[in-house]
Amino acid sequence: MDSVTVERIIKEIEHYTPKTGVEHVGRVTSVGDGVVAIDGLSRAVMGEIIEFEETAGKTLEKGMNPPAGGAGSLYGLVLNLEEDGVRATILGDSARVNEGMTVKSTGRILSVPSGDELMGRVVSALGEPLDGKGPFKKTTMMPVERESYGVIDRKSVSVPLQTGIKAIDSMIPIGRGQRELIIGDRSTGKTTIAIDTIINQKNEPAEKRPICIYVAIGQKESKTARIVAQLTEAGAMPYTIIVDAPASAPAALQFLAPYAGVAMGEYFMDKGRDVLVIYDDLSKQATAYRQLSLLLRRPPGREAYPGDIFYLHSRLLERSACLSEEKGGGSLTALPIIETQDGDVATYIPTNVISITDGQIFLDSSLFNKGIRPAIDVGISVSRVGSSAQTKAMKSVAGTLRLVLAQFRELEAFMQFAQDLDKTTAERIESGRRMVEILKQRNGSPISVEKQVAVLYAADKKFFADVAIARVSETEALLLEFVDGQYSKELAEIKKSGIVSGELKKKLDRALEEFRLAHKELFAKA
Amino acid sequence: MTMEQAYAQALWKMIEAGRPPQSAVKSVHGALEARGRLGLLPRISRAFSRIANRAIARDNVVIYVAREKDAKHVLKEAAPIFAETGIEAKNVEIRIDENCIGGWRLEGKEALYDNSYKKHLLSVYNRVTKA
Repeated sequence: MDSVTVERIIKEIEHYTPKTGVEHVGRVTSVGDGVVAIDGLSRAVMGEIIEFEETAGKTLEKGMNPPAGGAGSLYGLVLNLEEDGVRATILGDSARVNEGMTVKSTGRILSVPSGDELMGRVVSALGEPLDGKGPFKKTTMMPVERESYGVIDRKSVSVPLQTGIKAIDSMIPIGRGQRELIIGDRSTGKTTIAIDTIINQKNEPAEKRPICIYVAIGQKESKTARIVAQLTEAGAMPYTIIVDAPASAPAALQFLAPYAGVAMGEYFMDKGRDVLVIYDDLSKQATAYRQLSLLLRRPPGREAYPGDIFYLHSRLLERSACLSEEKGGGSLTALPIIETQDGDVATYIPTNVISITDGQIFLDSSLFNKGIRPAIDVGISVSRVGSSAQTKAMKSVAGTLRLVLAQFRELEAFMQFAQDLDKTTAERIESGRRMVEILKQRNGSPISVEKQVAVLYAADKKFFADVAIARVSETEALLLEFVDGQYSKELAEIKKSGIVSGELKKKLDRALEEFRLAHKELFAKA
Repeated sequence: MTMEQAYAQALWKMIEAGRPPQSAVKSVHGALEARGRLGLLPRISRAFSRIANRAIARDNVVIYVAREKDAKHVLKEAAPIFAETGIEAKNVEIRIDENCIGGWRLEGKEALYDNSYKKHLLSVYNRVTKA
């Protein structure tokens, strides 16, 4: 021990006032798989935090130097109140708990820290820093389980949350306060959509920019590290909080992580800010909860999930809200992610979450394999409330997009059997092919809404009709560069006003004509 | 809860409620016989003994002191705690635990009162090292 520590200890002893009181305790009777049975604690309440007393029966020296990985207090969460005791889950390393250990009641309900200090940080499901940047100094504790806002406190979704992804912002718009499910098989780009949405918030003015919370549930640490690096590189970390409950974390922490994320978000929402929370993914949370419930000996139901599996997700997603002006006008948008098996959306957990959310973005692995990315199946993707939040500018250029694509998909299937096509059908197919190309977007490159409007306006005017399909993406990129450089004032006006006025339309037409003249080589169909 | 635990608990509750043990056992036996579950009896007996042991351990009040000489005045010092928790001094067992270093620690009846030097020293140490 160094002299500084010794001096501090002496000082501490001089000013020490012993705080001793009668504590309510129980005793561990069995422990296994992260769940403990405790005898006693008859006054414990559901969801209460309990503290394991690791120093009892040990020497002072052993109490001062806990075993490796055993630093800090060890807590548990009461999940079952039984006739002869309670069952709790260990919020940490279960190897530190042994039979006969004393467990103290804390009288506290699980809460996590929240505040501006958390932005740019990676935290655990309990709000502890995981990025080695030191402890938090000034935070507010928010309850992990809280009742959602009622009808009176809410207002309709009316402000768009731009994802920066053309296919979503144009056809499946998301509003602030909405819950939009991202669903699809593994490796179809679900996380990419979520991350691009976070990155795109950089295009929003600072005062309107939503605070983003990415909750990683049961993910590989390497994936989370990659996401943090990507967000840092894109400059998105200053307004983002990462809540990490990796696959190696106990099931209890994986089950709690989404609630911790939403609790952190509620702090900002209550202050009138906009928040975006991404739960990646809720299938893994459901699996963790199933594991926990079976260990707690709760009766299993369909697919061995407990009876309250629907409530697990509904009470989480109901906490998303668009608050009334009286309540500060804040909002909390949720983008839950669900992983399907073999594209089957009709299984238990996906149908549950589909029914809770206000729409879904379905990612199709066959589209992904064809190179159509984002692989959104617009046929079964919907946004039930987002259209009222879509800007008039976007509505005016994307109104018929869904129909064009639907017709194209139908004709595309038919085309496989037909040899000769009439002119109208051939034109529709050509137009559809080009539209598919236009809606393709590389990951990590979200586009601001005004640029999306410009591109879709061009597409609507059949601007790309004379461009070879292979060169549509290139033409689009050059067009965006051109408009950004030569018509930035007009783009700014679209962003500000949210409409494409007659005057603006004329200017956009002129821009398209100028571009066509400057890049004649692109408009010679191969 | 397993079936034998449920029967054992029912038996325990009956006895706790003041029913004579013989009569309580007789009714449980009768219920088991009627349901053809007499084979459960040995397991019920083990479950019952576990419940009883737990109850005894729960009601058992122990005061830990570091040295034998501390035992003399600890009961007097702990009197206010007895009053607060409803513990009777005559039911308290005193044990020596050198890890306490000094002071005393009371455990029992779902209550813990730790006034040991070890607790205070650890509290000081944690405040210094975790500040």
